[in-house]
Parts: sequence; structure tokens; C-alpha cells
Amino acid sequence: MSAYAAFKAWLARSSARPAVTIRWRHVVGFFVVLPILAVLGAWSGLYNVAASTGHWKITDWFLHFAMRSSVRTYALGVAEPATLPDAGVQPAAGHFAIACAVCHGAPGEPRTQAMLRMLPYPPDLASVVDTWTDAQLFRIVKHGVRFTGMPAWPAQDRDDEVWDMVAFLRRLPSLGPGEYRELAYGPGQSKEFMVSIEDRIADCSRCHGKDGLGRSALVPVIAGQSEAYLLESLRAYVRRTRPGGIMSVAANGLSDEVVGSLARHYAGLPGLSRVPRSGSGEVARINMEEGERIAVQGDSSRSIPACLGCHGQDRRPQYPRLFGQRADYIEEQLRLFRERKRTGTPFSHLMWNAAHRLTDADIAAVAAYLASEGGAK
Amino acid sequence: MPILRARARPTGAAEKGGALTLASRRARNNGSQSGRRLCVAFLTVTSVPALGQASALDPAGAEASSIATLFWAMVVGGALLWLFVVSLMLYGIRRRRRVHDEWTAGRLIFWAGAVFPVVTLFLLLGYALWLMPQLRPWAPAQAAATLRIEVEGRQFWWRAVYHRPGDQPVVTANEIRLPVGERVEFTLTSSDVIHSFWIPPLGGKMDMIPGRTNRLSILATKPGTFRGPCAEFCGASHALMAFSAISMEPEAFRSWLAAEAGPARPQPSDGARLFVENGCGACHTIRGTAASGEVGPDLTHVGSRLMIGAGTLPNTEEAIARFIAEPDVVKPGSTMPPFRMLPETEIRAMAAYLKALQ
Repeated sequence: MSAYAAFKAWLARSSARPAVTIRWRHVVGFFVVLPILAVLGAWSGLYNVAASTGHWKITDWFLHFAMRSSVRTYALGVAEPATLPDAGVQPAAGHFAIACAVCHGAPGEPRTQAMLRMLPYPPDLASVVDTWTDAQLFRIVKHGVRFTGMPAWPAQDRDDEVWDMVAFLRRLPSLGPGEYRELAYGPGQSKEFMVSIEDRIADCSRCHGKDGLGRSALVPVIAGQSEAYLLESLRAYVRRTRPGGIMSVAANGLSDEVVGSLARHYAGLPGLSRVPRSGSGEVARINMEEGERIAVQGDSSRSIPACLGCHGQDRRPQYPRLFGQRADYIEEQLRLFRERKRTGTPFSHLMWNAAHRLTDADIAAVAAYLASEGGAK
Repeated sequence: MPILRARARPTGAAEKGGALTLASRRARNNGSQSGRRLCVAFLTVTSVPALGQASALDPAGAEASSIATLFWAMVVGGALLWLFVVSLMLYGIRRRRRVHDEWTAGRLIFWAGAVFPVVTLFLLLGYALWLMPQLRPWAPAQAAATLRIEVEGRQFWWRAVYHRPGDQPVVTANEIRLPVGERVEFTLTSSDVIHSFWIPPLGGKMDMIPGRTNRLSILATKPGTFRGPCAEFCGASHALMAFSAISMEPEAFRSWLAAEAGPARPQPSDGARLFVENGCGACHTIRGTAASGEVGPDLTHVGSRLMIGAGTLPNTEEAIARFIAEPDVVKPGSTMPPFRMLPETEIRAMAAYLKALQ
């Protein structure tokens, strides 16, 4: 039998067979099983709710499409005033500075890295305001956006305030940092000037302590650290070239001037030193312990240079002082250097090769030695 | 001229040798412009840094001459065999064939197919085996050697320690000098991966294996400057791992070794201060200064060496500055981190200081 004949025979047989019949019990069964499957699927936890990986492009498009459509439809019921309240721009700007700028940023005020990691990512408003009508902006500001970080207006009965904010948003794209500062903080003021250096230090003290010695074993001693090192490290956090979720948020937007004052302040406190308490680190001694041996002599057979080659006395100020540093902190940093994850000053990559061949035992020994030989403590 | 733009590669000795004649003849035959350009490009790529002569066929040492003799013996033996086999083949396919009787055929197979190869191979093998004791120093050779040079291969450079009988060892790097007419024993080790020690005109090659000490004996017969490449692939910069081997008259050698044993006598300078301040001393030793690291090459008399970077760049201030700034570009995979973040004035000051360490 030819293939064609076989096909024709099959066609005849299958058309003679009755089509699949859907009975009521199938429909009912489907709607009972479906929610059970959904719950089981959710319970398995396989669906990834992490913000770190972002949405698929198509999910992202769909969610935006749904959001924009919803705002467009619901804004149809909003009655726009004849003109936006000009006098509302200033108070709205003052409110924007403390309530909105933290996520959306403002002219001349970068957001912290934490906000940039939100999902969805809060847009820079100056570039999107023009894509909405006044009524749509009103709708978003008053009611917020579900499943995003966008909250509703705190007082739902104060539509007048919402219109003030819409008036401000209309002005936002044309505002430079100077004009924004004047609107939000007053003439000659800025967010920086409103915070004194003492307040800044109090901010740092939350973790580093008033004395700069650190309030936990994992917080480094910064008191007595080399000023050049502190300056370049802080700058690296401000410029986001040194990874650190805690410090990049803490140092967000600091001006060079503030960074300089903070570095000067902590460098001036008693703390770290370049020489060990028990004598000069340059002299090799017999029977020294493993940590001291690596710090003072290195291990040439394993290509490990001596720590004090760079961190000892009369070395470059960008190389940090280590004597008196906390052991846990040193260990963590050495592990990060070993994995090439630690950056910071322009000299930080020197440590990648230096730490490359350190074992966990070496790291523990070196950290213990450097911590125990604190100079001025 | 800014440090980071100076990219001139040293031109090779090989360009001036036989390879050029061969290439130009090929280019002439080819006649086309593109072919000639290709040949020039090929030569530029394959040219070796001007460390010195690197041909095993132009021996300047006892071991290398035995190896060269063995090579020529093998070549001549091989050529004769080839001629013989080809003649037999031509005889076999000649036009007017004649059937051999069984007795003649049997004799032909026995003499030409069994006895001849056995005898020839036995002679060649016997000659090679007879040479071996001279190339691999056994007890007598060791006793005769007055100087022992310990060479340690590292990615991607050579640490050399001269052990003189009854005297302090002398540490240096990337350059090996030896006296003409005196047997020198090499002890070869490695601290990371397998390297191989070879000075083609003098002797070798011998693998350098981590955890093992291999021995090699070399008797230089002529003074000269030779290139010793690493002869075992050892990583990204394997091709940039070489040393200069210099055979000298014994008197000159001894005065050189005495000078090499002494500490550096640096003038106090910005470069000297910066070398320690920037932490270079954590990896490099300059005897007589605070720099005492042993992770990288000893630089006590680096200014007097022929090349820097283990046969990578000529020894000029410009090249030293470039090496300090971008060892990751000059020698990919090298342990030394780049110092391009330093101000150029500091790099130049250190380069001038190092070049002055004669």
C-alpha cells in the first residue's frame, strides 16, 4: 500500500471517529484542579521573586503596558483645573526633596545605589513627565502604582496638594540643580549645607563609633588610618567604584569637600599605626609565628610578598595602616582581594596578586598578628 | 615620549641570519608584492629578541657540539637510508621486470630487510647512548665541577644562584654567565609549573620540575652571548620567558662574579626612596637597601643586564619605565601588578634608579 493510500485510509478512519466530547464534568474538574495546581506551583517556590535578576523583556513590556493602560483609562474620570496652581510649585518642591527624591533623584542629587536596585526601577522623572497628561499625573500621584514602590498620596482628601505636585512635576524637566535647590531648600541652601560636618560624623558614628574604632568586629578601625587612604576609599564609594552596599549608600552624593573633612577627622584620631607594638616589623626574628612571618618576610616559595613591604613604615600614604586593625575585617578583605572582588583606591589591585595565593589559614594567621600588634591602642 | 606609547619591539638576530636569505629567495620566486609582504610579516612575528645566538647547530659548548655531531650523524645516516630505500623502490618498479628465484629473494629480504636496519639502528642508538653520560652529569662530572649554578624557573623568569666552593651564594636573575673551559653544573628546579632549561649553543635541554632537582653539566668552549628560551610551555608568557647566557674568559668571569656578589651602591635619589615607598621591595631584593623581597627577580645589579623582563625588552630606562607601568601588557599573566596609576615622574625616577644599578 502506498503512503498516500495509507494516509487516505487513516483520514477516513479518523473522520469516522467522533470528535472529542467535552462534558460538564470535564469543565468542573478543570476549574477545581487549576487552583490546586496554582497553589502547588506557588508552594514549590520555583517562581523566582528576586529583584536582582530583573524581569524578562516581555514581562517588563507587559507590566508597563498594563500600568500605562490603567492610568490612561482611570484618568478619564479626573477633572482637570483650568490652570495648574503656580503657587503650589514651591511647597511641592519642598515635599519632593524629602519624600520623592530619595527614589527618583532630583536635579543635582544622585540616588543611592540601593534605590537603583529597585524593581521596577523608579524612573528619572524629568525624562518621563512629558509622556503623561496632567490628569494622568494626578492619577499616579494621588493613587500610587500597585506592585511598584510608588505610594499613594498620604492625605487622600487633599486633591489641592496633588495638583500642587503636578504643577511642580511640569516644571521639573526645565529645572537645573541651582533652581531646584532654591525651590526646595531656599536661596543659597542645599542639602549639603543643611547638614553640618558634625552631623556627618554622627552619621558615620552609627557604625564606626565616635572614636572611629568601630562598634562591631566587622567594622574596620578608621581612627588613625592614613588620610590619603581614607580619602581615596570614601571617594571610591561615592563614585561607586568600590563595591559595598552599606558604604555606598552611606557615602551617597558626598561632595569632595565633605569627603576631605571626614578623612582628615578620622585620620587625626588615635588608632591604627604602621609599626607593631612589640618593636620594628622590619627586623626578621627567628621562631616567629606564622602570621608574623608572612607579614614581615612573606613566603617567596609561594609568591606571597611581605605585608609590611607596602604597609610598613615610610610607605606610600595610599597604602593603609594595618597594625591594630580588626582581625575579622582584615580576614574578610583579604578573602575579597583573593577573589578580585575588592577595589577601592587606584592601588587596590596590587592586593589581588598579593592575596592570590593566601590560604584561609594564612589569612587567619596574618589577621590575628596584625590585630594583636596594635600600636596606639 | 610617554611611557605607555613606546611599543618598539626589539629586532631579532634571526632576521639577519639564514632565514632572511631563504625568505628573500622565496619572495623573488614568488615575484608578487603581497608574497614579499607576507614573508616580511612572518619574519617580524617570528623574530626573537636580540638576546644572542640561539642555534643548536652552531655550538659553543662541549655538550652542544656532541648533540650537533649526533644530529649530523643522524641526518647523514637518515639520508643514506632514504637513498637506499628509494633506490630499492625504483628497482622494484622498473619497467622490465625479472622474477627472482626464491633463494635470491630470501637473501635480499634477510640482508636488506633485517640485517641492514638492525645494524644501522644499533650503530646510531649506540652512538647516542654513548653520548649520554657526557650530557647527564653523573658522579664524576659533579666532582669535577667547581661552580654550581642553581636555576629556578618561575612564571615567567629565572632565578639564578651561584654556589662557589667555600663562599657565599650569589643571587641574580634572568642572566647566566659562565666561564669558558670550566665545567659548570646546573641544578634545575621550579616552584610553580614545569619549565625547561635550554641554551641551544651550549647544552640542554633539561626540564625543570616542581619538587624535583634535575642536573645538567655544561662546558662552554667559546666566549659568546646566547639566548636561552624556556623550552616547555608554561603559561601565557611562555614565549617571553628567556635569559641571556654569556660565556666569558675565566678571569673576566671571576671579576664579574665578585662584582655581582657585592651589594648595590645606589646614590641617594628620589628613585631609591620611591622604590621602597611604593612597596617594590616587598617582591624585589636590592641588596644593600631596605628592598628584600624574594617573590620577583633580584634587581641588585639589574642595570648591567642585557635585557629586562626575562628577555622581553632591551635594558633601557625607557623600557624599564614601560615594564613598571604595564607589565600586564608587556608580559601577560606575569605576577607583577601594573603600576600605571603612579605619576609618570615617579615611574621615570624609579626607572633611572634601576638603570643606574650597575
